[in-house]
Amino acid sequence: MSGGGPPRKRNFKIEAFKNRVELDPKYAERTWKVLEHAIHEIYNHNASGLSFEELYRSAYNMVLHKYGEKLYDCLQNTMTWRLKEISKSIEAAQGGLFLEELNAKWMDHNKALQMIRDILMYMDRTYVPTSHRTPVHELGLNLWRDHIIHSPMIHSRLVNTLLDLIKGERMGEVINRGLMRSITKMLMDLGPAVYQDDFEKPFLDVSASFYSVESQEFIECCDCGNYLKKAERRLNEEMERVSHYLDAGSEAKITSVVEKEMIANHMHRLVHMENSGLLNMLVDDRYEDLGRMYSLFRRVPDGLSTIRDVMTSYLRETGKQLVTDPESLKDPVEFVQRLLNEKDKHDKIISVAFGNDKTFQNALNSSFEYFINLNNRSPEFISLYVDDKLRKGHKGATEEDVEVILDKVMMLFRYLQEKDVFEKYYKQHLAKRLLSGKTVSDDAERSMIVKLKTECGYQFTSKLEGMFTDMKTSQDTMQDFYAKKSEELGDGPTLDVHILTTGSWPTQPSPPCNLPTEILTVCEKFRAYYLGTHNGRRLTWQTNMGTADIKATFGKGQKHELNVSTYQMCVLMLFNNADGLTYKDIERDTEIPASDLKRCLQSLACVKGKNVLRKEPMSKDISEDDTFYFNDKFTSKLVKVKIGTVVAQKESEPEKQETRQRVEEDRKPQIEAAIVRIMKSRRVLDHNSIVAEVTKQLQARFLPNPVVIKKRIESLIEREFLERDKVDRKLYRYLA
Amino acid sequence: MAITGASEKAALQALKASDWHLEGAFDVFYSQPQIAVANTLHLEEVYNRYKEPDADMIMVEGISQLCNDLQVDPQDIVMLVISWHMKASTMCEFTRQEFIGGLQSIGVDSIEKLREKLPSLRAELKDDQKFREIYNFAFAWAREKGQKSLALETAIGMWRLLFAERNWPLIDYWCQFLQVRHNKAISRDTWAQLLEFVKTIDPQLTNYDEEDAWPYLIDEFVDYLKENGLVQHRR
Repeated sequence: MSGGGPPRKRNFKIEAFKNRVELDPKYAERTWKVLEHAIHEIYNHNASGLSFEELYRSAYNMVLHKYGEKLYDCLQNTMTWRLKEISKSIEAAQGGLFLEELNAKWMDHNKALQMIRDILMYMDRTYVPTSHRTPVHELGLNLWRDHIIHSPMIHSRLVNTLLDLIKGERMGEVINRGLMRSITKMLMDLGPAVYQDDFEKPFLDVSASFYSVESQEFIECCDCGNYLKKAERRLNEEMERVSHYLDAGSEAKITSVVEKEMIANHMHRLVHMENSGLLNMLVDDRYEDLGRMYSLFRRVPDGLSTIRDVMTSYLRETGKQLVTDPESLKDPVEFVQRLLNEKDKHDKIISVAFGNDKTFQNALNSSFEYFINLNNRSPEFISLYVDDKLRKGHKGATEEDVEVILDKVMMLFRYLQEKDVFEKYYKQHLAKRLLSGKTVSDDAERSMIVKLKTECGYQFTSKLEGMFTDMKTSQDTMQDFYAKKSEELGDGPTLDVHILTTGSWPTQPSPPCNLPTEILTVCEKFRAYYLGTHNGRRLTWQTNMGTADIKATFGKGQKHELNVSTYQMCVLMLFNNADGLTYKDIERDTEIPASDLKRCLQSLACVKGKNVLRKEPMSKDISEDDTFYFNDKFTSKLVKVKIGTVVAQKESEPEKQETRQRVEEDRKPQIEAAIVRIMKSRRVLDHNSIVAEVTKQLQARFLPNPVVIKKRIESLIEREFLERDKVDRKLYRYLA
Repeated sequence: MAITGASEKAALQALKASDWHLEGAFDVFYSQPQIAVANTLHLEEVYNRYKEPDADMIMVEGISQLCNDLQVDPQDIVMLVISWHMKASTMCEFTRQEFIGGLQSIGVDSIEKLREKLPSLRAELKDDQKFREIYNFAFAWAREKGQKSLALETAIGMWRLLFAERNWPLIDYWCQFLQVRHNKAISRDTWAQLLEFVKTIDPQLTNYDEEDAWPYLIDEFVDYLKENGLVQHRR
C-alpha cells in the first residue's frame, strides 16, 4: 500500500468476516426438533399445518453448517421408530383387515416419504452423494422393507395371506384384486428381489403343488378331452391373474408351472387314454379336441413330438392294414379310393387342428410313403384308378372335379418308389383307352400327362405323348384316305385305322389272323394308299387289338348291331357261309392263337345276354371238340350289343409276373448306365459309394436293389468297363 | 561269369537287375532259376519227340506220353505248374515256343532233368505269391478257346485240384452249392475273388462282412451255408 505520502484514493476491500460465527450447537438441536416434529405431523396426516419453506430452510441450514450427518442419522432413527409403531398397528389388524391396514399404511408412508424427501432435498443432493449414503427415498423404502415386510410377525402372515387369497380365487372365490395389485406393486417397488424372494417364489411353489394335486384328481375322473379343457382353462386363468394383479414378469414362470404340472407330467397318460386319447380323437375327427391338444402340448418339451409319434404309428398301422387287406385288393379302384380318403382325412386334421404344421405334414408323407410301397401292386392299382376316372361313363363329374381328383392321385403317385412300374401300366391302360375310344375327355388325359411330366420330367411322358400324336395323325390319315378313295371303295365296310408307332405303344407281337375277304380288300387298299404316301415304312395289322361293329339279323328278323373285337368278328363272319362249325374248323380258318380263340369263343357263346353263338355241348369251358352254331334265338333288349370290350383290368397272376419281369429287365440297362456315368466322372470309387450314388440317381424312377447293382457291376467288370483295384478289392476303377 | 559259370547274357542281366552292384548281382543270379547252359538243340529234340505228326503243337497224345515219361498222372497238379512256366494259353496243348520256353525257364533241357525237378515244382505251390499267380493263370488256361468264362465242370475240377493243396475246408460245400444253385459258367472276377475269400475269411465266416463287395456268387454261397446250418451264424 502507501508508504510515503498519503494516497488520496483508497481501494475498498471487503475482507472475509474474520469473526467465525459458529452455529450454536443448540441451534442444530433446535432445528432438528422442528423437523422431527414435522415428520411426525406428516405421518399423522397433519401436514397441512406445516410450512414447506421453513422446513426446507431448516434442513438446508443444518446441512450448510455441516450438520448433514446428524440430520441424516436423526432422520433414520425417527423413521425407524415410526415404522416400528406402524408395524405394531399392522400386526394388530385382524383377519381380512390385515392387508388393508398394510396397504393403507404403505400409501401413507409413500406420501410421507415424498414430502420428507422434498423437505430434505438439499441434503439428498449434497450430503448424501458425498458421503455415499442411501438417498432419502430409497432409505425410506429400505426401512419399510426391513421393519415392516421383513418383520417376523408380518412377513409370514403377509405371504400366507396373499397365497391363501390366490388359492381361494382358484377355488372360485372372489377376492379384492385391487388390493392384491397394490400389495404386489408395493413389493415390486421395494425391489425385484423382494418381490421374487418374498412372494414369487413361494407363490410358484404353492402353485406347483396345487396343480399337481388338482391334475391328479382331474386325470382320475376326466376323459382326455375334458381334462384338456380344464387345463386350458387353468392356464388362461393364470395368465389373467398375472395381468390383473401380479407383475408381468411372473407370467412366463407361472405358465410354465401349470404346463409342467398339468400337461408335461401327464402327457403319456393323456395321449394313451382309453376311449378318449389321441387315437380316438384321430379316428373320430375331433378337430376341436385335437386343436386344443396341439396348442397345449406345444408349450411343453416333447409335447408335439409325442403327438406326432402317435399319429405316425397310427397312420402306418392303418395304412399297412389297408394295403394288405385281401378284400380291398380285389377292387383296385376301391383300394385307391380308400387311400385317398385316408389322405384327405389326415390332411384335414393337420390343417384344421394342427395349424398346417410342417413337421406333421412330413410325418404324414413319410408314413404314406412307407405303407404304399408295402404292396407292390400299388403302382398298377393307381393307374387303374386313373383309368377308371378317365373312361367314359363318369356322369356328373365336372372338369374341375376330375382335375381335383387327378391332383390328389398325383400326391399318391409321388409316394411310389417304383414309378417305372406305374409308367408301364399307365401306358398299357392308356393304349386300351385310346384304342377303344373310351376317354372322357382329351383335355383330362393331357392334363394328367402334363402333371406327370412336371413330376418326372420329359422322358417319362414322351412315349405317352407319342401315343396321342399317333391318334391324331391317324384321324387325319383316315380323312384323307376317304376323301381320295371314296369312289374306289364304294359299298365296302368302313375302315377306321389307327396307325401306331412301334416303341411308343405297348404292343404285344402276335401273328395276324385271317381276316374275312371283304375286310381284307379294303385293308389292302388302305395299305397301298398309306405306303404310297409314306415310303419305307412297314405296316403290320395288330388283329389282337381291334374292334368291329357288325349288323346281324336273327331268327325272327331282329336286327342288332354287335360291337365285337376283331377276332370275334372273324369268327362270326365265318357263320355267313355255314350254320355250324367245329372248334377245329374255326381255328383253321381264322388262325387265331388258341388261348385268344378260346377266350373269344367263350364271350360269344357262354355269356348270358351275349350268346350270339350256341355251343354244343353246353358246358362252361371251351374244349377243342366243341361245335358252334349261329344262335337264331338270340334276343336282347338293346339294339346295340357290346360283346368283348377291351377294358383295362387288374392283371392275373401270370400277367403280373410277366410285367414285373419286363420291368426288371428294363431296369438293368438303366442301372448300368448310371454306374458307367458315375465311374466315368469319378474314375475310382469304392463299392458302397457306388451303390449309394446309383440309388440316388435312380430314385426318381425306382429303388434299385443293392444285389442287382452288384450283379451289374460284375457284368461290367466282365465286359471290361470296370476293374477291381489290385490292392484294395473294394475299389473299382473305370477303364476308358 | 567266372564264379557263377553263367553266360555273358545272364551275367549282364543280373548286373543290370541289381543296379551294377556286384554282390547284389550274385543274389539276383542265384535266385533265378538256373538258366542252365541251354542246349537248344536238346530242347528241340525233346519237343519233336512229343509233337503232333502233322502240326507244330504238342496235343493230347503227346502230353499223355510226356506224363508217362515223367511218371506222373496227367491230372497231377504239377502239370499245371509246368504249364504255368510255359505260359501255355490252353490246357492240353503246347506250342513249340511255349514248350521250349517253359523248359528253359524251369532250367532243364531233358526229360530226366525235368523229372528230377518235379518235387521242387510241386513245392512252388506252397509259396503264396506263386500260388496266386498259378491260380489266376489256371483260369485262362482251363477255358475253352474263345470263351470269356470258365465252364462250371472244369472250374470245379480245377478248384478241387488247387484247393487240395491249400486245404480249404469249405471246398466241398462250394462245389455242391455251385451245382445246386448256379449252373452257369464262372467269370474271371469270381474266380479271382474266390482266392481272396479263401485266404481272408475263416471257415466259420466270423469275419465275413456282406458290405465288403464280394462277388454276388460268394454272397449267395454264404447265404447257402447259413441256410443249411453249415456254419455258426453269428451277427
